[in-house]
Amino acid sequence: MEERRHTSSHYEMELQEIKNGLIYLGALTEKAIQMAMQSLTERNSDLAHKVIKDDDEIDKMDTELEERCIRILALRQPTAIDLRFITTAIKITGHLERIGDMAVNISEKAIQLNEEPQLKPYIDLPRMTGLVGEMIKNSLDALIRNDLDLAEKVRQIEQIVDDLNEQIFRELLTFMMEDSKSIHRALLIMQVSKNLERIADHAKGVADMVTYMVTGECVRHQTCDLNEKELA
Amino acid sequence: MVDMDPNAIINMHNVSFYYGQSRALTDITMSIKKKNVTALIGPSGCGKSTLLRLLNRMNDLIDGTRVEGEILFEGKNIYASDIDPVEIRRKIGMVFQKPNPFPKTIYNNIAYGPKLTSTNNNDMDTLVEQSLKQAVLWDEVKDILNKSAMNLSGGQQQRLCIARALAMKPDILLMDEPTSALDPISTAKIEELIEELKKDYTIIIVTHNMQQAARISDETAFFYLGNLVEYNKTEKIFTNPDVKHTEDYITGRFG
Repeated sequence: MEERRHTSSHYEMELQEIKNGLIYLGALTEKAIQMAMQSLTERNSDLAHKVIKDDDEIDKMDTELEERCIRILALRQPTAIDLRFITTAIKITGHLERIGDMAVNISEKAIQLNEEPQLKPYIDLPRMTGLVGEMIKNSLDALIRNDLDLAEKVRQIEQIVDDLNEQIFRELLTFMMEDSKSIHRALLIMQVSKNLERIADHAKGVADMVTYMVTGECVRHQTCDLNEKELA
Repeated sequence: MVDMDPNAIINMHNVSFYYGQSRALTDITMSIKKKNVTALIGPSGCGKSTLLRLLNRMNDLIDGTRVEGEILFEGKNIYASDIDPVEIRRKIGMVFQKPNPFPKTIYNNIAYGPKLTSTNNNDMDTLVEQSLKQAVLWDEVKDILNKSAMNLSGGQQQRLCIARALAMKPDILLMDEPTSALDPISTAKIEELIEELKKDYTIIIVTHNMQQAARISDETAFFYLGNLVEYNKTEKIFTNPDVKHTEDYITGRFG
């Protein structure tokens, strides 16, 4: 359905700027995750340090977007679809900022792992990285296009990432059982995997907010509970 | 859409209204819930004020107008031939956009209506005090009851008009943009008053201020070109309306 434009072109522009900001923030986080993984697979700790440093830009963007949203709430008193978009944008920017933090966590683990001999070839972690990158991209595309099917697709991929995470855990357990000297590295890799799984949760959170924005219906506690995982 | 409610105080069935040849309202069917605030919104000329005036037969005063359908108030059609419009206007009071106190004392503004319609004037002082208290004006005017109402501020005058309407002990209060001529503080006082009054009265308010409708009403009806486009819980209208047209209007994507 084609959206009509606001009578106020300034308001229209302010909303568009928030959309653009979210896309930009999404691109920054995607890049951070990719670089973090690359630093691990290519054993290049310089890249990891760069991800940690660049997180400041993500944090700055998060704050700026939130301020813009609050300004619109205060000055424009948005209603209906505009209100749902603004509340969605506030939540999405929070999810993306957390994804940035996860990329930092992965980078910190990569730096430690790179200082020791490689425990095993990394195959599933780059796969997970590709999947979560796709989830972030699709969830933001869904936001821009009001695309419920694409949001649903994001939720489906999340399950695949969960399964991969469990598989990696099982595999690493066997390493730890065979050789106690592998435990430290295996635990670090487990944390990398866990961080990727958490990124998938946040990307799903973005998709759930898109569904809320389009339908007005809250779906985020119907499938997997982010809060429960956060506490675990 | 809100279903026909058995507890509704007003039920409108297929109401159409004409000014001469031109139709101002088309086939309106809706119920107004008792002791609720119902807001009527829509762009200028959409028929919302016409509908409000239909509810206490104010449109009778305009020549060449015609009503179709029925408007049931407490089960009786207010346009039936045996109904006295004066009696209807006593039970369904009205407050207008611009405060219009009589050029009389504050006291007599309140007492004027009751004196005309009632033979028992013994408790007039009590009635004046009660009405002014209900309109949250008493504390400001209790020492100047014999001064002219014209000396009051715009916000006070509007509360006086509300007190005047309340003195007739109506069931319903119709308000046609009651705060559009007032400053924000006076507006806030009237809005606060409306929240209080809905405990005892049914209130129907026409407003161009969408935030006002969102703040004070329980149900909102959106009109466009004489049609009722959507009638829903206010919360629903302003967060996730059912009709795209409503959404375009309240989000400012119009015309």
